[in-house]
Amino acid sequence: MNNTNTLFTGKVLFEFEELTSTNDYAIEMLAKTKPTEGTVISATLQTAGRGQIGSRWLANAGENITMSIILYPTFLMARRQFLLSQFCALAIRDMIAQHVDAAVSIKWPNDIYVHHRKIAGILIQNTLSGQFIQNSVFGMGININQVDFPAELPNATSLAQCTGSVYDLKTVRDQCLACFEQRYLQLKQQKIDLIQSDYLKHLHFLGENTRFENAAGLIFSGTITGTDESGQLLIDTKWGEQAFEPKSIRFLDLF
Amino acid sequence: MTFKEIQELIRLVGKSNLTEFKMKQGDFEITLRTDKYEKGKVQALPQALPIAQAPVLPATVSTPVSPASAPVHKAPASPEVEAPAAASSEDESQYIAIKSPMIGTFYRSPSPEKPPYIKVGDTVEAGQVVCIVEAMKLFNEIESEVSGKVVKVVTEDAQPVEYDQVLFLIDPKG
Repeated sequence: MNNTNTLFTGKVLFEFEELTSTNDYAIEMLAKTKPTEGTVISATLQTAGRGQIGSRWLANAGENITMSIILYPTFLMARRQFLLSQFCALAIRDMIAQHVDAAVSIKWPNDIYVHHRKIAGILIQNTLSGQFIQNSVFGMGININQVDFPAELPNATSLAQCTGSVYDLKTVRDQCLACFEQRYLQLKQQKIDLIQSDYLKHLHFLGENTRFENAAGLIFSGTITGTDESGQLLIDTKWGEQAFEPKSIRFLDLF
Repeated sequence: MTFKEIQELIRLVGKSNLTEFKMKQGDFEITLRTDKYEKGKVQALPQALPIAQAPVLPATVSTPVSPASAPVHKAPASPEVEAPAAASSEDESQYIAIKSPMIGTFYRSPSPEKPPYIKVGDTVEAGQVVCIVEAMKLFNEIESEVSGKVVKVVTEDAQPVEYDQVLFLIDPKG
């Protein structure tokens, strides 16, 4: 057995030297069998790691955590699925904050930042039937020991870059799985208010006057006040409070 | 029995209230039925039959030739008229809609270079993935809850969708 800090997360662990994408592998598993809840697929090297549609997740082999976790949050209505993003982002933030003294924040909707640099990303893929979630695959890339990043990733950072230490990947991975399970259990126990207040507490730029660009190219300033139930970003602007979805807005004050 | 005796018998039975008269005498056997016989039979039947079918019976039973030809002429005409009318009235009700369970963006294929999950005319099974709805950077494969034939793709690829918006129409009989 692999992880002694969890009840079920990572008890079943598939480790690969090389995989095109841990999420793709997890989804294939779900199509063929019913993997145990908390099953983890981990890869030393992801050759086609996926970020958002059209963007790739780039990570050096053996230096970072690239893994996917399978859960069955069948108790959650599909329309409340932003809670999955929230608890997962909080879990990774919790783990990183154990090592880093600087402020670790969540850039809406679900990237993890140290200062103005990105340290981790999440890609969640669900299967839905009717109004409910059947299964969820939580893919995450967390930069750990990588210190040199390609020019196309000017705002990337890692645990090692933040602290100057080198980390044992398995230890950090186990810590991450423990944080993940703890936050998932909060969701399962309906501690929605706790998840939402913690998410807001660590939301990047919350309460700060910040510049944005909307889909039409309009540049404006406003203050982030939070997120609504569907996960839209709420910004207090001179036209009043407005809600935005990820494609309709860009942060201009990020490095 | 002589011919005269038979004539007499017919006259008597015809005047009576009898519906049927049977007589057997050695090798000789005669059965007489009056018009009351047919009326009695028809009157008894409608009670047991569905109302819609009752008018058919007098036509075929009591008057064999000319009235029967009328329904024959009508028969080919009525299906032609009624069948399209029935089909069009069923259009809205007989199809099952696959709806978006959330606000998001609708994608017909897993990635831009791949073919759509389903197209019009395809047969889908319950549990088969039919599209992706992306919401707040979460990607959702939507499974069909019914089996049937895809009759319409209601929403265009890569368009924003509202909660409960119809994405596909499925004919469960298809």
